[in-house]
Amino acid sequence: MILVGLLLLLALVLPGLPLGQWRAFLLDAALFAFLVSSLALAWDMLARTGQLSLAHGAFFGLGAYAAALSAPELGTIPALLVGGGLAALSSLLLGFATLRLHGMYFAIATLAFNEVMRTLVLKAEFTGGPIGLPVQPPFEGAYTLGAYYLAVAVLFICTVVSLLFSRSRLNYAMTATRQGEAVARVLGVPVVQVKLMVFMISAFLAGLAGGVYAMKTMFLTPHDAFGLVRAVEALLIPIFGGLYTTAGPLLGGLIIVSLETWLRFNIGGGGGHLVVYGVVLVLTILFLPRGLIGLFARRKGAGHA
Amino acid sequence: MLKVSGLTKRFGGVVAASEVSLEVHEGEILAIIGPNGAGKSTVLNLLSGLIRPDAGRIEFLGQDLTHTAPEVRAWKGLGRAFQIVQPFHEMTVRENLMVGAIYGKPGTSMQTAQKVVAHVIELTGLSAKADTQADELTLVEDKRLELARALSTQPRLLLLDEVMAGLRPAEAMEAVELVKRIRASGVTVLFIEHLMPVVRALADRVVVMDHGQVIAEGRYDQVAANARVREAYLGRSA
Repeated sequence: MILVGLLLLLALVLPGLPLGQWRAFLLDAALFAFLVSSLALAWDMLARTGQLSLAHGAFFGLGAYAAALSAPELGTIPALLVGGGLAALSSLLLGFATLRLHGMYFAIATLAFNEVMRTLVLKAEFTGGPIGLPVQPPFEGAYTLGAYYLAVAVLFICTVVSLLFSRSRLNYAMTATRQGEAVARVLGVPVVQVKLMVFMISAFLAGLAGGVYAMKTMFLTPHDAFGLVRAVEALLIPIFGGLYTTAGPLLGGLIIVSLETWLRFNIGGGGGHLVVYGVVLVLTILFLPRGLIGLFARRKGAGHA
Repeated sequence: MLKVSGLTKRFGGVVAASEVSLEVHEGEILAIIGPNGAGKSTVLNLLSGLIRPDAGRIEFLGQDLTHTAPEVRAWKGLGRAFQIVQPFHEMTVRENLMVGAIYGKPGTSMQTAQKVVAHVIELTGLSAKADTQADELTLVEDKRLELARALSTQPRLLLLDEVMAGLRPAEAMEAVELVKRIRASGVTVLFIEHLMPVVRALADRVVVMDHGQVIAEGRYDQVAANARVREAYLGRSA
């Protein structure tokens, strides 16, 4: 909790710190880390109900495209909400079709969803198709740090929602659903409603992060917005940081993205950092089954922290 | 209180439950007994809604629950303990019970749920283990947790599926006393059991099943003397 507060505070004051000649680079890297951490937090909420989603890259991408397309008409904040809303709506449809599936079957269905969405965006005309889509900066470029503080706001919202989930009665329902769906139902947990609701909230937040991403990069392509790498990041980070917690995805996201940025800078892009992802994942599963947070937290019950 | 009529369930070519009709009266303890594969657990699964019947009707407290979801049945007051204990491993005993206490009755506040859980923990003798992780319990404690969790939903009718299986005789008799206390607190009990001393000690009435059908019904001594029941247990050649 203290850790979470400190990280958010640091995000808030970072632009005011004397960062020297690296300032612009560091702020951009931090912004991207905040968005990926937000996505990881959103993914982790759904994971608490036992559903392993590979669709979070697609929710991020849908949010990005919807926000980009609606921003000129609606303005920045409403456009971001439209992005989140479209992601949530699509998760509801996907959820109705798939939430009776478990484990691997659900994961494969969500992977298919990701591919379908990418293909649709690729083939459609109003999205710019394979050529891509130019995007306005937030608030029509009125503030230099506009995108940065939007990312901080999204991270803040994701963190608060994640904390609220773990402190509310819903945490019992989510954990019970994950650990034994049939038993949970017999105990009165409305499992289907719980899963659908959490899925929608999770997708909404992923879409929100995608919208800010679009306004920051100012250019979207289907390959970038619906890339599988993002879906993998969304699940790698919570596993690395500590599943079913708030501090885990938050801390994990900041570390992983910093590491990725550093690697890109030193060994260049071109997939080298993906190898590192793989290695980190394997090492974490082998040596830190409860993630980074497991190093600090004692063994606990329904997954607070 | 519970009226079951013509309940039928087929799994492929096997008729696991065939036209099962039975009634549970408020305040009684009813046992369902029968050889392995007689369809006892199938009936319990049909009652708690985990499987859907092919035919028949389930009426509980005057309401038709035949096609309702398991959680809805829990809300109406139907509690269930499983034969194979399935605690939520990553939760403590108390947290396991909180799930049932919060969601078993819609509109239960956290404070009320905590009170219910404290009461159930005391009733089932789990006080010393209340904050222990569920995967660190012994089999006996697991069994008690299973029973306690079913109680945490504040059921009117409690369905128990061989909750004594695997217990030593002394432990089973402790559990018998516990079930008696549960009934005394106003909960009706329907249980499946293999251990005849337990059935004799607990059941007001016994229903005997064989090959998916109800073959006898009555007091323990009545069904124990029944020729069809003896045949079902000892085999046709006996």
